[in-house]
Amino acid sequence: MLFPTITFAVFFLCVFIGNWLLMPRPRLWKPFMLAVSLLFYGWWDWRFVFLLLLSALVNQAFAQWIAARRRRGARSGWALAAAVAVDLGVLGWFKYYGFFVTSVAGALGALGLNADLPLLRIVLPLGISFLTFRVLSYVIDVHRGALQPASLLDFSVYVAFFPYLAAGPIARASEFLPQLRGPRDPRDLDTGRAFFLIFGGLAKKMLIADYLATHVVDGVFATPGQYSSPEVLLGIVAYSVQIYCDFSAYSDIAIGVSLLLGFRLPDNFDRPYAARSVQEFWRRWHMTLSRWLRDYLYIPLGGNRRGTVRTYVNLLVTMTLGGLWHGAGWTFGFWGLLHGCALVVEHVRLDGRRRHALIVQQQRRALAEESEALLRTAPPGAAVGPAAAGPAATAVSMGSSGASPVTVSGPPLEYDRRPWPGTWLPCLGTFVFVTFAWVFFRADGFSAALAVLGRLFQEWGSLGAAVTPAALLAVVAGMAVHYVPRSVWERGETGFSTLNPVAQGVLLALGFMLLDVLGPVGPSAFLYFKF
Amino acid sequence: MGRDVRRRDRAEREPTATPRRRTAGSALTAMVVALALGALFNAAAMKKTALDMPFGAARDLRLALVGPLASLSHWSLLDRPAEWTALALGKPRPGPPPARAGSQPAAGQDDEATSGRPDGKPGKTLQERPLPKPYKGHPMRLYIAGDSMMGLPGMALTNLAGKTKLVKTLLDYRISTGLCRPDAFDWPAQLRAQVKAFHPGAVAVMFGANDNQGVETPSGEVYQFGSRGWKKEYRRRVEEVVAVLYRGGVRRVYWIGQPVMPDSSYDAQVRLINEIFRGVAEKTTGVHYIDAYRLLSKGGRYTQYLPDAGGAIVQVREQDGEHLTYAGGLIVAQAVLDAVESEWFPDGGDARRTPPPASPKPTGAATPEG
Repeated sequence: MLFPTITFAVFFLCVFIGNWLLMPRPRLWKPFMLAVSLLFYGWWDWRFVFLLLLSALVNQAFAQWIAARRRRGARSGWALAAAVAVDLGVLGWFKYYGFFVTSVAGALGALGLNADLPLLRIVLPLGISFLTFRVLSYVIDVHRGALQPASLLDFSVYVAFFPYLAAGPIARASEFLPQLRGPRDPRDLDTGRAFFLIFGGLAKKMLIADYLATHVVDGVFATPGQYSSPEVLLGIVAYSVQIYCDFSAYSDIAIGVSLLLGFRLPDNFDRPYAARSVQEFWRRWHMTLSRWLRDYLYIPLGGNRRGTVRTYVNLLVTMTLGGLWHGAGWTFGFWGLLHGCALVVEHVRLDGRRRHALIVQQQRRALAEESEALLRTAPPGAAVGPAAAGPAATAVSMGSSGASPVTVSGPPLEYDRRPWPGTWLPCLGTFVFVTFAWVFFRADGFSAALAVLGRLFQEWGSLGAAVTPAALLAVVAGMAVHYVPRSVWERGETGFSTLNPVAQGVLLALGFMLLDVLGPVGPSAFLYFKF
Repeated sequence: MGRDVRRRDRAEREPTATPRRRTAGSALTAMVVALALGALFNAAAMKKTALDMPFGAARDLRLALVGPLASLSHWSLLDRPAEWTALALGKPRPGPPPARAGSQPAAGQDDEATSGRPDGKPGKTLQERPLPKPYKGHPMRLYIAGDSMMGLPGMALTNLAGKTKLVKTLLDYRISTGLCRPDAFDWPAQLRAQVKAFHPGAVAVMFGANDNQGVETPSGEVYQFGSRGWKKEYRRRVEEVVAVLYRGGVRRVYWIGQPVMPDSSYDAQVRLINEIFRGVAEKTTGVHYIDAYRLLSKGGRYTQYLPDAGGAIVQVREQDGEHLTYAGGLIVAQAVLDAVESEWFPDGGDARRTPPPASPKPTGAATPEG
């Protein structure tokens, strides 16, 4: 069941009514929410409903086991390892089996060995990677003691909650489960934001992402030799816009739909192409994945606590695995590695700057101590003070009387924490890097990626038929949303929320009409469904 | 400067005003109004979607629901905003076409098509003539058409053909289309237009994946899939496609059959469809059947993986099990290109550099007619 369909609209209307009618009765409400979520998932393939339920059952059992061991004071590391192995095993089986077997066969073939490996047809369950992240966050948080196991019903609702089921945002158990504990006030709905997010998401998906995919991106990436260099350049940039408008659209709709049901999901995008560094890009792009990788992979690997080199290695490992999470292919790993390398470069710059700032701070502190010593020995009224000690002295708390001991408060290290100076140039540079990396993400293999990139330098004689005003307008619109200040959207949401409900409905209906006329014929699946 | 930027960001993040909170009842009212009014605004498009569904009870039910809505929308003028918007933007009018745009040819235009003789007099002569040899600067034009199954194979064929420098391609695939439902998408009309514009010497087509549904004959009879009437009508449509292409000057048709399918009942359906394609190809001069079923199966059975040209094991089918991956498309594309090469430039490199002296304007290559 896709979001931009009449089927989903009718489904959601029924769920909305049932949700608010049953919410005061949790014994009915929670099974209802679970049932509608399973119906939503089963609409694609009913067989995987059992996978969802089995995953909930198994992870709940692990969580209970881990919690019981913790209560007894026993170590729960092995129980956690077993849970992680089971969850990653399921993910690996469904998502990486083919990749693994063909890679092994290729490697053996390169060595002149022919192995008759079992080549099975495995259907990838929708959103299995997101499911794995959700259940892992639950058992890991229980292991860490940050979360008590929920009831099986609550946990099942968390696992299967339909708005984020297929493509996120990756809400954590600690964020979602408390929202199941008590009913929300049905008089306190942020409908302005909800409708804005839903309509904006539909517009981004149908008017920009789908248009660019059909008219520019798919052709350029499949048959670059048929396109001129300006067309290929447009295709590459258009893919950056397409993937943002597609993926963020799903997140926006999921968040909006959840808001109407009384649930708050974490934000997933914050104008990522306005980022001035790759670090900042990952704070703005797929934010729930970034923090998941940080908290459940990067920090357990050691984060930045084990020295500079280990920090860089951890970054590279985290980003490469994050890349492979997106798809079963070496190009996805390479895409992650590229981002990891960029993060390392930025960290190297910042580390150098921090070291320099530390040296400056130490020098200033020494100077301050020296001046303090001078102050102690100086006769009353002598001109020794901040002006003589320099700016750093202002950070040193001096005793009211010269005789009291000096308190060095340890001011925060002062240095520019932006990897690249300036605003527009780093912004452009980051976008160029991210767009370059997307080529490997989108292309069907390294040779295809290189063919696309190579085509950039071959035929600048003509613009080509794919460079149309409509395609340029779609790209510009997709980029422009990054530079509209958030306050503008918020004013729009607020203004919309003050309209009476009938006026809201009329405006939404007009908007849907425009989407229907301007959008593609028939809905298309969201890109992140396959991840 | 950095601090300024940070200050601006902070300012942006501060909410300007608190949105007014609404009750669930208000939200429900807004949604019901939006859906009801939206349905009336878009009723014509909804009716078109219903009409495009396969013949059967589900279609009848949907039409029974949407039909009155479309009438109400038209009567209340609520279908006009969508119509005006579409007109203003130069887009097709939403909803079904005013008159049935079937595959029935205009009077006197495609007589051979309905006679079941696509290799009639004009075509027969052209297809039996020796093929003009393409050369550098004057490539043979290959038009590639079909449904979504043709997507990646068509792209693979485009790439392979481009490397020869002797074949210029035009790829034209439309998802959810086929030969059963010209009311949803009229392939004969599309082929006629493209042939007229592109002047291909050869055409590669791949249809059938969406044709496991009923057909309606020009006289209005509906035959369910697999029935005797269905087979007769479907064969007529395949022949009509060939006739349309031949009348446009096409010299060769490479008709790609459907590959083996993972679901046994769907597989039986595509085998039936393939038999019709093969039958027409065998009886029609200049039509070659490309047996994708054999190419993409392992011992006649479904497989997700096959060795590529280099012997490496590659995934040939998408996750849905039906569509081809690019690697799978390459296998089919190579078979088509082999067939093209064996007929159009069997001497390979000899014809690649210079034009043949006696033929400054090659027939059927850059232009279809000499």
